[in-house]
Amino acid sequence: MNTSRFSLQKPLSVLMALTLCVTTVACGSAPSETAGRQAGAPTAQNRAETKLPDGQYSVQQASYNDANGEYSLLLLGTPAGASSSLRTTDLQLARLSEADVKADKKPYVKIEGGKPAFYMSESFKIEYIHNVTETKADPQTGGQQTVVVRQESSFWTPFAGAIAGAAIGNMLFAPRYYVPPMYSPGGLSGYGGYGNSYSQAVGNYQQRNGGALPAATRNTQAFRSTGRLGSSSNSRVNNNSTRSTGSGFGSSTLRSDPSNSRSYDSSRSSGGFGSGRARVGGRRR
Amino acid sequence: MTTWRDRFNKMTGRTRFVVCRLFIHLAGEDAVPILGLLNDSARRALAAEGDFDVLGESMVEICQALLQYDTYWRSAANEGDVLWDENEAGDYVNSLFTDSAQRYMSGPDLEAATPRREEALTLPVTRNLVVMITAAFEGEVPALETDLSSSEALANGLKALINLHYQQTLRAVQVHFSPAQLGDELTDDQLLTNFPELLPL
Repeated sequence: MNTSRFSLQKPLSVLMALTLCVTTVACGSAPSETAGRQAGAPTAQNRAETKLPDGQYSVQQASYNDANGEYSLLLLGTPAGASSSLRTTDLQLARLSEADVKADKKPYVKIEGGKPAFYMSESFKIEYIHNVTETKADPQTGGQQTVVVRQESSFWTPFAGAIAGAAIGNMLFAPRYYVPPMYSPGGLSGYGGYGNSYSQAVGNYQQRNGGALPAATRNTQAFRSTGRLGSSSNSRVNNNSTRSTGSGFGSSTLRSDPSNSRSYDSSRSSGGFGSGRARVGGRRR
Repeated sequence: MTTWRDRFNKMTGRTRFVVCRLFIHLAGEDAVPILGLLNDSARRALAAEGDFDVLGESMVEICQALLQYDTYWRSAANEGDVLWDENEAGDYVNSLFTDSAQRYMSGPDLEAATPRREEALTLPVTRNLVVMITAAFEGEVPALETDLSSSEALANGLKALINLHYQQTLRAVQVHFSPAQLGDELTDDQLLTNFPELLPL
């Protein structure tokens, strides 16, 4: 009797703790994305490339590179010994609140738990660096490669016009991920995307632009191929070898952020699936 | 059955990434024409420099062809994982590409490249053919996140893969196949040594 009551107590306390966690997350003003990451994976964030300690720093200049989706911010008032520039692909943007505008606050970056969020006024211009790429044959190997021919510069104001109109009320001031609209030689035009995570922002961009991928995603998609797809030789591999011939190709739009290099480890993952696992009782948890 | 960690992650709005790989082994000389389609889509992908839409369409065509050749399915296998971190998912996709690629000879064979005079005018026809499809996507697709080592489950999995392309939730696509072309052979021994996970359907 006593033992059965004890066995009930444990899951109940876990459940109560979890409920408390969830309600705290829901009530907190911090965006849910940040809260989730802090709770789930605090390990890799601390040794991120942004070696700046947590705090607020005013921003002098900001630029965005569409070759890899990287933001580069020039900060003021950083502590001695720390770099005054911040380069990251993982940056959330937010608008300065009414109170901040009234107090004549300058654009600033707030770093919380190693994750930066950039607060800016409506008229703040982020320099947009557009890379014009071309595919050329590598003179040494003869293979095709993408090279940046030249860079063009433009301006991106994330909170002027269409995007600001689409967000409502309080959401306007919470930091979120934004994807700039399409670049054209006259400047940026059309709709960008936003979301609580970067991939949501990309999805939102795709929805508004008829399935087209944002420039940063298109430029970072990694294409790999093996085999003799490029050459048209008819040579046949000797059948005595342990392997037959084959070819393969693949492309990925998954972003890799070098400042947060968490590599895959099957033992740590929540649960794999597949035919190999089925022999030992379905999905392993 | 989802774990608490899954539910918590979902509630806090994190993106769920699923990476999965399917092995399909076709047996029989009549299944060989599919090699033409595979090479065709591979060349198209190469010409488009890996443009994601082109690759997605190629995958749809390959899945459709595989569904049409279902009478030749002999064995299959699948594996995958659910991840909450994009970096990790990208890393896993890369390692799966490398793993798929090391199961066949892809480099040019210098010895075989020199023409042999006494070569017969007929080409040997392979009796085995393996197609490996890897996909990474956002969200949850129960049809792919199970054991696909039965004909019915595999057919459902392929249909789910096709849907992924049109739902635009795909984040990575890879297709590998062995042998490379008509005239190359994948023998039973090579199949056993390089694809040990295959389970008969």
